[in-house]
This record gives sequence, structure tokens and C-alpha cells, in this order.
Amino acid sequence: MNVLLVEDDKQVGDFIVGELSAAGHLCVHALDGEAGQQAAKNATYDVMIIDRMMPRMDGMALIKALRTFGDNTPVLVLSALGDVDDRVQGLKCGADDYLVKPFAMTELLARLEVLNRRASSPGIEAQTRLVVQDLSMDLLRQYVQRQEISINLQPREYKLLEYLMRHAGQVVTRAMLLEQVWGYHFDPQTNVIDVHVSRLRQKIDKDFETPLLSTVRGVGYRLGPELDN
Amino acid sequence: MEIREVVNSLTFRYIVKYLTVLSATVFLLQGAFYLYFSYTSFRDLGESVVEELETLKRVYRGQSLVGVSEYVGDQMASPSVHRFYYLVTDKYGAKVAGDLPVAPRYREFDDGWLGFEMALQNWGESIDVDFLARPMELGDGYKAMVARDYADIVERAELVFRTLFRVMIATLILGITGGFFSAARALDRVERLNHEISRIVRGDPSQRLNVDTEKGYIRALAMVVNQMLEQMETLMQGVRRVSDNIAHDLRTPLTRMRNDLSQLRDRQAHVEGGQLDRIIEECDELLSSFNALLRISTLESGNRLAGGSDVELGILLRDVVELYEPLAHERDIELVLDAPEPQVCKGEADLLFQLFANVLDNAIKYTPPQGRIRVQLRKDAAGVGHSVVIADSGPGIPMVERKNVFRRFYRVESSRTEHPGHGLGLSLVQAIAQFHYGTVELGSNSPGLQVRVKLP
Repeated sequence: MNVLLVEDDKQVGDFIVGELSAAGHLCVHALDGEAGQQAAKNATYDVMIIDRMMPRMDGMALIKALRTFGDNTPVLVLSALGDVDDRVQGLKCGADDYLVKPFAMTELLARLEVLNRRASSPGIEAQTRLVVQDLSMDLLRQYVQRQEISINLQPREYKLLEYLMRHAGQVVTRAMLLEQVWGYHFDPQTNVIDVHVSRLRQKIDKDFETPLLSTVRGVGYRLGPELDN
Repeated sequence: MEIREVVNSLTFRYIVKYLTVLSATVFLLQGAFYLYFSYTSFRDLGESVVEELETLKRVYRGQSLVGVSEYVGDQMASPSVHRFYYLVTDKYGAKVAGDLPVAPRYREFDDGWLGFEMALQNWGESIDVDFLARPMELGDGYKAMVARDYADIVERAELVFRTLFRVMIATLILGITGGFFSAARALDRVERLNHEISRIVRGDPSQRLNVDTEKGYIRALAMVVNQMLEQMETLMQGVRRVSDNIAHDLRTPLTRMRNDLSQLRDRQAHVEGGQLDRIIEECDELLSSFNALLRISTLESGNRLAGGSDVELGILLRDVVELYEPLAHERDIELVLDAPEPQVCKGEADLLFQLFANVLDNAIKYTPPQGRIRVQLRKDAAGVGHSVVIADSGPGIPMVERKNVFRRFYRVESSRTEHPGHGLGLSLVQAIAQFHYGTVELGSNSPGLQVRVKLP
């Protein structure tokens, strides 16, 4: 993955660059908004990580400028501002995801992967059928089956599975599931998501030889085998 | 404002006390004046009687008894009721002239004064009247006595007394009425001030009293209160800033540590199984405490909700309940939602979701198996606001602890060991409710806890 990082805090920036390189990604680091804009003009990237508050050009202004010039590279906003208002404002500006500092690197990586894949397979939203190995979902008939055996799901389980299948092979975090499947951004006191996932697991994995839904320690879940980048 | 309040007010009581002292003084003065008036009137009366006797003596000396009889006759012809009455007797005590009876029953006073009562004809009516009389030797055994009634003096004194009394009563009535109104006015201003101050203290301490609309000592008071609020706010902000900084500054190194740990775990999968996972979990819990703490601070220190979007509480609660239903089911707890009609309120959906999720999370945590949790959405009594009641069948919270549990990091002693948690859940609940101009109340579900969230 080719990543552009626009972040004025050198320490945080270096840390992210180090982590991304360790995970096998290429990363260019710009230290302010203008440098970021320049870097974005000079090369194409798979995803961008943009800090909100920076000297010379604010992160929001940078995203607006990029979108105005037709650059639709997925953008993840990184910000110390975690208020609901800030989030909404950030996403309205044209950002694709929003992560509040400080963050777990695993969370950032998982989100970047998802953004990258969404961008690289543009037709994904228009699909009518999702398939992960022997598990398939008919989006029109809302019908799920594995090895020709029909699986009966509750509406929320269906949405959960749909999200997992759309991001098959990728790690999705609990926060991502809450935001995307339940539509709320909040911090659960207990791992309430785990119970939903284990219910789903009961239905799709229990009677079959190879488990599809696996737990990724300390990060989240993954459906299907790991993708190689 | 009630009349009772005015009557109980300090100003009014002060005025009543003042009036009591004033009327006592006026009463004493009036008594003194009455006594003086009576005394001088009687003295004048006595002097006039003595003068009349002197005149009689002079007449007797000049014109002997004939002159006296003539003089007395003339005086008796006067049409006035209030005049001198006479008795002239010879040496045998027989009446020679005059209109007084010879031997009425006299009372003797000092200095040769006599007093008696006699009926007078006034407008065809017979009235008993008190007289003051004095006898005198005219010479040659003749004696004269001059008497004068003093009903007119008594009447005049009484008139004066009555007038003074009325004036005093009028003063008292006017004073009390005036006192009542000035007390009411002062009280009204104090009451307004009181209302303003408690509104500021309860709500937003960054607001100030309006000094311009006040006058005099109330204005001075308002200015002092404003100074106090200023200091209070500075102190509060100071404390908050310190704790925020701690949370904020600790959060970054902790995050880094957590990231390092997870890297370590990925690279060295053979390290004693589970130990790193536990450390990472601890880190995550600490981080989530810090995050919750900072969120509470942000909610409490900033301005309250401005605008917000329409949130349908019925749907929101359905989502919360749906999210927690499997958890409840896993613990064999029945979770029931009772939200019969849609209710829309202004707010931030994510925050409200967090609020109800925290309450429900607690309810599930503390309710024993086979328990029951009921989430109820209703309009409040006035039909304007919204009331959400989350009632469980757990152990509840003792009355004495109910206020404390909203404090940050506070945990009921009995739950400290049994249940995990950082003691910030309810603080956040309250902060979010207040951010939405709402309230959170804890009550008993007998048995169990009843959390009532009211939103406008």
C-alpha cells in the first residue's frame, strides 16, 4: 500500500511511518498542509492520512482542496479533536474515515486496509452477490447459504455478515463494526460486539469443518483467510 | 411571591419592630401631653374660680350684700351652661343668693377645694355634671362659694386624646403598609438575584449576573457575587485543566506502549501465552478510562448542546436494546423495551446512544440470572419532555450512595471486587444528560435500581 501521511507532529509522524514500513507499506511523510498538497499533486497514493490541525494549511482545507481538484484518494483524518461535532465536520469535508488520537496502530492499519480495498475495487457497492469460499450471500433476496445449506439470520446478523463479507480477508475492528453495522460511534464499556459475533459464528461456522470467522487478538475479527498484499 | 414570604422577610420584621417602638414612644408622648393638657386646664379653671371669688369679695366690700346679690343674679342670667355657679349664705348658713343647693354632699380636696356632682338642665335634659368649688369668707359671717363644672374640659381633653390616638393608628397603618411594600420590593429583588445565582451555579458557571439592571446595595451584592463566580470558575478550570493534562499526557505514552506491546506479541508469538495479552488488555482499559475522563471533561466544560439534530428516541432505544439483547440473553436476563410511540428530541445521537448503552451495560452487569430489565420510554407529565426509565431487578444502589455514584471513579464498595469497571460510566451518563439539558435520577425498583433519564 502506498500511503501519504500529512502530520506536523514529528514524533507521531515518525512512529506511523515506522509502523507502516514494518507492516510492509510505503509511506511518504509531509510535515504541513502545503507540503501535503504538493506531495499529493506529484504522485498518486492508495490512501492518505491527514492530521486535522496543522500549520500553513489546516487538514480540512487540504481535503477540500484535493477534492476540488478531482483527487478522490481515500482519506483518513487523524485528529486530537474527538467531539461528535468535529467528527461530523471532518466527514462532511470529504474525508472517508476519522480516527481520534491517540489510537492503536492496529486500528489505524485495519482502517487503512479497508479504505484501500474499497478504492481499488470500485464495483463492490453494486454487487448483488457476495462470496467468501463456500459461504455466499444473495443481496437481492437477502439469502445466505453455506455449502448449499441455508442459514437463517436476524436482520442485524445479516448486516454484520454483509459487512464482514464485503471486507473479507481484512481485519475489522470492534469500533469499525459499531460505526458501520450499528451506525453509532461510541465506546462500549464491555465487549458487547463479541457476543454478536459469537452468535453469528454459531450460525455460519458451527456445523462446518473449516471455520471462516476468526478473532484477531487485540484488534478485531476477520472473515476468511488473510489477504496477501 | 407569597404574602407569607413577605411577612417572614427580614425587612418586614425590622419595619414591624421599628413601628412597635415608634408607637410606644408616640403613645407615651401622647399620655404626657394629655396629662399636661388636663393639668393646665384644671389649673386655669381653679384660677378662674379664685378670681371670681376675689371679684365677689371686691363687690361685697364696695356694695355689700345687695351688690353681691345683684352681681350673682346677672351672672346666673347668662345663657351658657358652662358658667360659674354661686352660693352666698349668712352666718346661720341660710342661702342668701345663688343657684347652688345649700348643702350638697361635698368631697373635700386639698387646699380647700371641694368637689360635687349636680344635675344640670341642658337642652331640656338633666345631666349629672362634676363641679369644682371653693368657699370663701366675704365678711360679717357671710360666706360665698363659687363652683364651675369641668365637663367641657374633660370633653376637650378627650377630643385631644382621640385625635392623637387616631393619628397614631393612621401612622401605624401607613407604616405597616409601606413596610410591607418596601419589604416586598426588596424581597423581590433578592429573590430574583437568588434565582439567577442558583441558575448559574446549577447550570453554566461561566455566566454572570446582570449588574446594570440593579441599583444600590443589590447592585453591590451582584458585583461581589460576580467576582466570586469569576474566582470559582478560574479554580474549577484550573483543577480541570490539571486533570485533563494528566489524562492527555499519559494517554500518548500509554498508546505508544500499547502499540509496542502488540508488536512484541506479533513478533514473539512464543512468549508465555496470554501474559502479553493481559498487559495489552490492561493498557486498553487504562486508555478507555482516560478517554472517558476526557470526554466527561469536554462535555462538562464546554457549552451545552447548541442545535443538535432530531433524534427519534424510540429507534435509538430499540438500537441500544438490540445491541445488548444477546449479552442479556447470554446471562439469562430478560430485556424488554416499552416504547409505544415515537418521540423526537434534539440531540447528538452518538452521545445519547452512549448514555443509554452505559446505563444498560450497568443494568446487565449487576442483574443476576433470571432477572429482568425493562426500558421504558414515555412523555413526561407535562407532555413536552421525554422520560426514559431503565429498571432492573439487581441489588440496586443504597439511598446514601445514590449521589456519590455520579462522581468520577466512585464505585460502590460491594461492587468494587465483584464487577469490572472504571467507575466513570455514570459520570459520563450524567455529563451527557446535562449536555442535553436533561437530568438523571436514581430510584428504587424494589427490588432493583431504577434509572430515570429526563430529556427536554
